[in-house]
Amino acid sequence: MMRKLAILAAALALATPAAAQDAAAVKARVEALRARVELLKDHDKIENLQAAYGFYFDKSLWSEVADLFADDGSFEYGQMGVYVGKAHIKRGLTLISKEGPEFGKLNNHMQLQSIIDVAPDGKTAKARFRGMMQLSRANEGGQWGDGVYENDYVKQNGVWKIARLHFYVDGVTDYDLGWTKSAIPLAGQSAAIPPDKPPTEVYRGYPGAYIPPYHYPHPVTGQPLNIPQPADSVLGRK
Amino acid sequence: MKRLLTLSALCLVLAAPAARAADDPKDLTAQLDALDKRITRLEDSNAVEKLQKSYGYFVDKAQWTELSKLFAKDATLEIGGRGVFLGQDHVLDYMHGAFGTDGIKEGQIINHMQFQPIVDIDPDGVHAKQRMRAFVMSNGGWGLPMYENEYVKENGVWKIKLLHGPFTMYTSWDGWAKSATPNTRPESFGEPPDLPPTVVYLTYPSYYIVPFHYPNPVTGKPWRPGTQQAGAYASPSQVSLENPGPRKP
Repeated sequence: MMRKLAILAAALALATPAAAQDAAAVKARVEALRARVELLKDHDKIENLQAAYGFYFDKSLWSEVADLFADDGSFEYGQMGVYVGKAHIKRGLTLISKEGPEFGKLNNHMQLQSIIDVAPDGKTAKARFRGMMQLSRANEGGQWGDGVYENDYVKQNGVWKIARLHFYVDGVTDYDLGWTKSAIPLAGQSAAIPPDKPPTEVYRGYPGAYIPPYHYPHPVTGQPLNIPQPADSVLGRK
Repeated sequence: MKRLLTLSALCLVLAAPAARAADDPKDLTAQLDALDKRITRLEDSNAVEKLQKSYGYFVDKAQWTELSKLFAKDATLEIGGRGVFLGQDHVLDYMHGAFGTDGIKEGQIINHMQFQPIVDIDPDGVHAKQRMRAFVMSNGGWGLPMYENEYVKENGVWKIKLLHGPFTMYTSWDGWAKSATPNTRPESFGEPPDLPPTVVYLTYPSYYIVPFHYPNPVTGKPWRPGTQQAGAYASPSQVSLENPGPRKP
């Protein structure tokens, strides 16, 4: 009987360090799971941030749009050049339309088909969005437009902000005529409210062909998508 | 001694449930395993959405080789009414046959916008299904394929296993009030399929309801097609917007 007791005591003594080891392992796993949940939450927050951008943009609420950016954030739309900082972004936006909704104005910039990649450290992120547009100005008729966003985001004090927004406008066409009959050229840089920097990439909207670079590697092969740009007879790209 | 032993055994027995509930490593490990599975399902759902969205972005720019690499080696593809193409190589053949060589050309617009995903990961964690709308904006006009696809996770990577995109509606730039391509025109396509179409149907102004892979999210009951759903009209030759043909009861 004594022997059995001794064995039991020994077993208990041995169990203690093992339990401590287990506790450390459990803690590590909890931390790892917590980090993965944070990344999922960040993913959703960025989708909402970009959706909010679109909803404000629809109604030309430029102050609200500018406030979505980080202090040193940048905004680039088509071939208009790069605007840096909230104040200058807000001024640059008035080139697209005057502030606020207007009778006869439709400025819909839909934010669709998100591909969001949050950095493993959870501090920065990149996303591609589809930007389908329904536009009109009073007495000018309707337009369809299309483009792709490739944006950077940054988390500051727990809040996600737009660090760099780049809208590659693909093309704009007259609603009645359509792509086969109408191609409205992209606006260039303004002399009245000049950008801080020229366009980061010079390209031509439809009928020109251009591939906005993909921020993500191929989802299956994992290889970077370094796809050569198609030929453009006007820009002289072979 | 015997009493002492009994007492200590009793103490151990009493202590055990409390320890299990609070910090028994085995029980915690089981809880963490369950949590890990749930988090993995959320990550998988994002990955499957991303896969189909990147398919759309590849179509936009005629990146057929990259697009074909989204498919598993033994995947199948069935678009419109053109039959079933077997294997990753035939997926690429199909795309090259339908659209020409890789790369978007000047004056070409073939936007394949992917919206409205409904993803369901199978309990096994390595198979998934997804319904997703494609909204086509092209030189030819507007188009609406409806995808009901299957996916497989191989070595930790999600791939397209079965792509099936019956057409809802195709129209020229005149718009669907004035023009529509009423059938899926399998004869318009040169590349022969490996298998005939799995379903024969007509598009707008006729209708076909692509079966939903999921039950009604509220009632939990599946929707089952009636016999009239697999092609609403008797003969494609009778169909036009002016003469939609005899309606079946």
